[in-house]
Amino acid sequence: MNDRILGILALCLAAFMTWAGWDIEAPFAYEPVGPRAFPMLIAGIIGLCGLRLAFKGGNQVEPAAPGVNTRIALMMAVALGYAFLFQWLGFIIATAIMTVLVARLFDGTWVKSAIGGIVMGVAFFLLFDKVLDVVLPTGLLGGLL
Amino acid sequence: MSGILDHLSIGFGVAFSPTNLLVAAIGSFLGTIVGVLPGLGPINGVAMLIPIAYAMNLPPETSLILLAAVYVGAEYGGRITSILLNVPGEASAIMTTLDGYPLARQGLANVALSLSAWSAFCGATVSVIGITLLSPFLARWALAFGPAEYFVLMVFSFCCLTSLLGKQPVKGVLAAMIGLGISVIGVDSNSGVYRYTFDSVHLADGIDFVVVVIGLFAVSELLEMLDKSSSGNSVEVKPSGRKLFNFSEIMFTKFAVARSALIGFVVGVLPGAGASVAAAVAYSQEKRITEARDPNAKFGKGDMRGLVAPEAAATASAIGSFVPMLTLGVPGSGTTAVMMGALTLYNITPGPVLFDAQPQLVWGLIASLFVANVLLFIMNVPMVRVFSKVLSVPAWLLVPGVMCISYIGVYAINSGTFDLLLVAIIGAIGYFLRKLEVPMAPLVLGVVLGDMMEQNLRRALSITNGDVAVLYSSPVSIGLWIAAIAVVVLPQIFRRMRRKLPVDPAGE
Repeated sequence: MNDRILGILALCLAAFMTWAGWDIEAPFAYEPVGPRAFPMLIAGIIGLCGLRLAFKGGNQVEPAAPGVNTRIALMMAVALGYAFLFQWLGFIIATAIMTVLVARLFDGTWVKSAIGGIVMGVAFFLLFDKVLDVVLPTGLLGGLL
Repeated sequence: MSGILDHLSIGFGVAFSPTNLLVAAIGSFLGTIVGVLPGLGPINGVAMLIPIAYAMNLPPETSLILLAAVYVGAEYGGRITSILLNVPGEASAIMTTLDGYPLARQGLANVALSLSAWSAFCGATVSVIGITLLSPFLARWALAFGPAEYFVLMVFSFCCLTSLLGKQPVKGVLAAMIGLGISVIGVDSNSGVYRYTFDSVHLADGIDFVVVVIGLFAVSELLEMLDKSSSGNSVEVKPSGRKLFNFSEIMFTKFAVARSALIGFVVGVLPGAGASVAAAVAYSQEKRITEARDPNAKFGKGDMRGLVAPEAAATASAIGSFVPMLTLGVPGSGTTAVMMGALTLYNITPGPVLFDAQPQLVWGLIASLFVANVLLFIMNVPMVRVFSKVLSVPAWLLVPGVMCISYIGVYAINSGTFDLLLVAIIGAIGYFLRKLEVPMAPLVLGVVLGDMMEQNLRRALSITNGDVAVLYSSPVSIGLWIAAIAVVVLPQIFRRMRRKLPVDPAGE
């Protein structure tokens, strides 16, 4: 990863914003500047930044230590999975699963991770849902809680 | 003069109500813990707490007091690790390690901690006085601003934030534009047209500010922690030794504290320059002044004046940075941008009108910043061992905990899965942007200011029927354009000059 890649990505973003925003038009134009101008202005500046970065390049990011990239990919997968399951499984179960997986990524042992997961799920549910009035999804445990 | 006393009495009336006092105490406690935890700083703590405070149905001033207390507390918590461990909790605490850690090594850890709390308290006092004198004046001045002036003011604050952060301003501009681009998503409030919603119901209202902030400052922060493989530290605070500084130490450091607090306040008021700049400026200033006069100065080896200078300056600037947000409605730092986003959850738009419309909110906040510093000062001495215990929380428990609290907050806003998925995706994107050294603060500022910026631009151009000259026709806007250009160009010139200087004598 370096600045050239960032520049090219910025150019793609600018092109996408222009393409997707080109037909934004107000049905009744009663002001001189419509809803399209501002996004196009932003896309233009993003494009200029992209050109500069892509042209200049450099600034190579140091490659991470071996194994770190796999762990980061796994962590991203856990973040997405937790988002999917949060409502469906309910807060307590989803949190327990997420905690075990993340704890394993950060070198926790199986036993400690499992205990931590269950305690965190239950304790945070009681703290936020019951004490602080922040409503959380009950999911599969809906009948019990 | 009586006006000022009226304002302060409104403020302290709000701050001393039992609920708000309790909230300020809880906030400073939580904030200190967040500040002590490795990898988490004020902006992370504030970001995580916003949706939760909102979901708890706290009134706006109470939730703002909570966030402000967390902010001040986290700034303070960063100091604890700097002094005890030589590990700065966040950027503004780097200067504290220079003389704080040597003091701790000499067995004066408790004295150093309480003295830093004292100087932070003095910095807060100076800043609160400064805000009280300065902000009504600034707000009255800003009332005369039209849409064109507002637009240029926002351009100016973007220029400040991008040129001062990092060595590549082009990445700052890119970040700001990405933020503005995010703010465009959703229904256009002028024409009712859908922009970049791709026929999704969830995007019709735009991407919630909270979702962006938590993605960038919680989820991607956690991803970064995997890089650094931080593990739990345990630290022993020796119970022996004096707990509190004494009177002669106050007298010894009083000029350093006063000078640094003033520097900190001025730096804080300027948009873009935050606590880390203030601490660095104050430390080098103090070192220069003191070493010229006092042959016994031992900066870098445990001089108390070197400890108090960055402390007083950082706190003064943290509080001073509320001035542009409250008076002009244009935040000057990442953290105040996040706080301003919190206000928009309550449909409150900060700006000059706020001083007349919601005096209890503005002055309550200012008074609470002061109260929070007093509470921190009181809490610090007896509880420092409790706080340093927090350091031994292992990463495998800390990371899922932060993740869990972040998701609770996001879920509380709309009770839906869509926002949670967005948080995960924005967190991943934020991780890559951070790796490529794209600064996050301009991005957040873009999301917060985007709508206001566009509305003011369109309104200004409507008045003149599309003539762009309106943007540079009044003296105020011309002045702001000049200031904006100066902020971008001058650091570049200085950098060139500095690069040339050491080369020239060598070449001869």
